[in-house]
Amino acid sequence: MKRIITLFGVFSVLLSLQFIGGGFEAHAAEAGVVDQFLNNANNGLDTFWKFTGFYNLMQSPSNLIMIAVGLFFIFLAIKYDYEPLLLVPIGTGVILGNIPFAEGYQIGLYEEGSVLNYLYFGVQQGVYPPLIFLGIGAMTDFSSLISNPKLMILGAAAQVGIFATFFGASALGFTPQEAGAIGIIGGADGPTAIFLSSKLAPTLMGAIAIAAYSYMALVPVIQPPIMRLIIPKRERLIKMKPPRAVSKTEKIMFPIIGLLLTTFISPSALPLLGMLFFGNLLKESGVTERLADTARNSMINIVTILLGITVGASTQADYFLTTDSLKIFGLGAVSFMVATAGGLLFARLMNVFLKGDKKINPLIGAAGVSAVPDSARVVQHEGLKNDPNNHLLMHAMAPNVSGVIGSAVAAGILLSFLL
Amino acid sequence: MNLLIVDSMTWTITILGWFIVFVALVFLIAVFNTIPKILNWDTKRILRKKRGVEKGTIKNEDLIISGETNAAIAMALSMYFNELHDEESNVITIKEVKRRYSPWSSKVYGFNNVNFPR
Repeated sequence: MKRIITLFGVFSVLLSLQFIGGGFEAHAAEAGVVDQFLNNANNGLDTFWKFTGFYNLMQSPSNLIMIAVGLFFIFLAIKYDYEPLLLVPIGTGVILGNIPFAEGYQIGLYEEGSVLNYLYFGVQQGVYPPLIFLGIGAMTDFSSLISNPKLMILGAAAQVGIFATFFGASALGFTPQEAGAIGIIGGADGPTAIFLSSKLAPTLMGAIAIAAYSYMALVPVIQPPIMRLIIPKRERLIKMKPPRAVSKTEKIMFPIIGLLLTTFISPSALPLLGMLFFGNLLKESGVTERLADTARNSMINIVTILLGITVGASTQADYFLTTDSLKIFGLGAVSFMVATAGGLLFARLMNVFLKGDKKINPLIGAAGVSAVPDSARVVQHEGLKNDPNNHLLMHAMAPNVSGVIGSAVAAGILLSFLL
Repeated sequence: MNLLIVDSMTWTITILGWFIVFVALVFLIAVFNTIPKILNWDTKRILRKKRGVEKGTIKNEDLIISGETNAAIAMALSMYFNELHDEESNVITIKEVKRRYSPWSSKVYGFNNVNFPR
């Protein structure tokens, strides 16, 4: 007990030491500071409130609409399996880009120095699309195209969508550069659309990319009615003879010759076509399997994540919710339809000149739009609906991959005309 | 100059652009139609030399093998090689069984080693 009292005494002496030498006056002054403290706390809370998304939402309520769009994309991807690899990152990106925040603190995508801005650099400068093309090249088998090269013309015919939309956008009052960027939606090729719009019309890139990817996801909805409308039942039943076997030499020569020919014709498409054919050479050479494997798996996955999230985040309501975006969406839908119809009609025209077992099933013309491999899958599905034994997938892959080449060449042509 | 609703430049890009895409792909078609002919040229030469086939009798179509034919050939080869056995001497022998000495049946241990009274 004695010890406790001694300890208590020592502590009380130590505590009272602080009041020695003017300590009492300081303590008295503190009582007046309480008010100031409360004021400061209020100010702090107010500042915090102004930093929250709820406060900033009042300044720009339109962000809520875009957040709803982002959630809808995620819903479409998960519930209906519409291009989930694209729509989930883009949908999340749309939500990320539309969380309201106080500007000036390097948070948003368009603020220089922010993390999102650094990631967006790859989109702005067109870095990501060629890397995606490298992966596509490394995973695409061109043998159906090599075995029946004449089907390549269908890929060219479907590019009418690009030029028709370019024409339509010009008529609607867009500048030639903007019209060119909008037109490429008709190519049904997301990376190409982003590449071209980043060069020609960076301000419209968000809307163009979202339109291109949305319509690509909706290929199974858009194309079948047009196919049934244009191709009569009798022609939908045509069976094509199986493609010939392609030798390894031909497969290796394809990317080299394709690269040389297409880039000599349209050097502006060099980043896209160069990477596409390089990726394919990695695959077909047979000696660079490790590189091809990285290109078609890890790398394309990483770039898809970065591309999806940043393109989605670029749709900030202030930049995105404009009448121009509405026009772009309208033009995009028309361009998809025109492209599909162009491919189908050209396939029917080709049949006029082809005899006997060389005739083609005109349904494969729809695969000329380059939404790989969705449009080819739609053709297969339609073919099976009309005849359960008619498998058109391999034949449809030929115009499908030539559509990729065609849309990249078209992008190069538009760049060289308009840049 | 305005033609219809857009200027002449737009018309030019629309028509010329599509035309160039066509030309590029037609060019590729021409090249890829020619390549198999060039590659088959050597095969034709070998056929002529080894089998004495006359010139002009082999058509390019004859050298084209469809994927189905290839699959059938591959299947036949695979079955043929799977059914093959190792080469054997064709001498059937019965191994001679050598009995080793085993104490359990030894006669020696069967004796009762007792001393008979004399």
